Amino acid sequence: MRTPTDFRQRITEYLEAVTGGVVEIKSLQPLAGGASRDTWLIHIHTPAVDERLVLRRDLPTSIMDSALERDQEFAIMSAAHVAGVRVPQPRWFCSEPHILGEPFLIYNYIEGVSIGAEVVSLPELAEARRRLPEQMGEQLARIHRLNPALFDFLPRPRPGYSPAQEAVLQTRAALIRLGVHNPALAFGLRWIERHLPEGGEVVFLHGDFRVGNFIVSEEGLSGIVDWEFSRLGDPCEELAWPCLRDWRYGSGHLRLGGIGEREPFIRAYERASGRRINRKVVDFWEILGNLRWAVTALAQANRHLALGETSVELASLGRRSAEMQLEMLRLIAEQGV
Amino acid sequence: MYDRPTLSELLDAVRAHLEENIIPLLKDDRKLYYQTLVAVNALRIAGRELTMNALHLQDEWARLNFLQNSADSIPADDDEARAALAERSRRLCEDIAAGSYDQYPRKAALFEHLLATAVEQLQVANPRFLQILALEDSERERRR
Repeated sequence: MRTPTDFRQRITEYLEAVTGGVVEIKSLQPLAGGASRDTWLIHIHTPAVDERLVLRRDLPTSIMDSALERDQEFAIMSAAHVAGVRVPQPRWFCSEPHILGEPFLIYNYIEGVSIGAEVVSLPELAEARRRLPEQMGEQLARIHRLNPALFDFLPRPRPGYSPAQEAVLQTRAALIRLGVHNPALAFGLRWIERHLPEGGEVVFLHGDFRVGNFIVSEEGLSGIVDWEFSRLGDPCEELAWPCLRDWRYGSGHLRLGGIGEREPFIRAYERASGRRINRKVVDFWEILGNLRWAVTALAQANRHLALGETSVELASLGRRSAEMQLEMLRLIAEQGV
Repeated sequence: MYDRPTLSELLDAVRAHLEENIIPLLKDDRKLYYQTLVAVNALRIAGRELTMNALHLQDEWARLNFLQNSADSIPADDDEARAALAERSRRLCEDIAAGSYDQYPRKAALFEHLLATAVEQLQVANPRFLQILALEDSERERRR
């Protein structure tokens, strides 16, 4: 493992190389990140500017099948930025392993709060929470307009399969791979198969659009981060995903991410996108979203159990799967078993 | 027979040590602080499992008997009981996938079993989650 001084030195050298001038790192601190990623806030000073940047780096052992590479994430963030999506402006990416050991990307820091539990509860964000549902709808419409043809590397439903059918295939494959025989998950999968919506449009999806991946300031939604799960899929899937109970951070009565109601969000999305959204299809995707997250939680635990990534955090996720299982069952009951 | 502390007392001693002596030292390292909170919670889960496991095994077995119209008795040995239960769950999954529970009333009976099993899991893994759900449900009832 490298020493912090060495880490700092290497980042300084890298930034001096890409900016072509003297760079002084005034501070370097870790930010809360995902289980597979390492995120740092870097405050730099150069003769020209004084600015704050964020560095995101893969962890050496991260094994998320569906996650994108850093250069792909960089390309997507750049396109989203150009298209007027509120995304931190990406600056550089580096895939040279000799710099920091793993590929990384650097983007501009945006001031605000991203930790879900704080977004749903901080008193100073009350006005932001009031604005968020509409802002989320407008932003999501912009994201879904990104041209998929620009990103031939994105995961997508295989030919002849709708996004929902693709999700069923993937979920079943994951259960087999994990060797899991859980009747609630088997039942959820069966219910989904028997209630598949007709057709379904295929658009660019952020892939993890929810509270927790938003930088929220007092004005509301200031930045959308974590583009590593971008893919092509059904727009209704991404209207349902931010409604999952697990992204409500304890404010469970507020269906949209613990900050508001679902309806203003969907209405804003309809206005901005020109699409008419069938609420029943969004309900379907919320059930499927819980099923997938329940299976993903088991897959994360499996990284600890079988794939050599010792982590109490990953291990504990296995026991959280039941939360999504119960939520899925309750939502199915609302639709009629 | 082992001398005290019992298994749950040992778990509790480790948990108290982490909570009282270690976590306060970690406030400046967010990652380690969070991971240690998760570790403390894992010890709580283990403690609850110790007290509830036997009862949950019995209940799940009885529910499966009812669901599958069977009168099998549960193996006396805990490990054997767990293995037998896992095998029954595996077969239940196959039956579900094959469509054996697509129609009423079997579908409703299965659903009750699944709901009960998820609740039992959460009584061990996260009882607070269940409390919050109950609170939310009664709040919604009240507003109706």
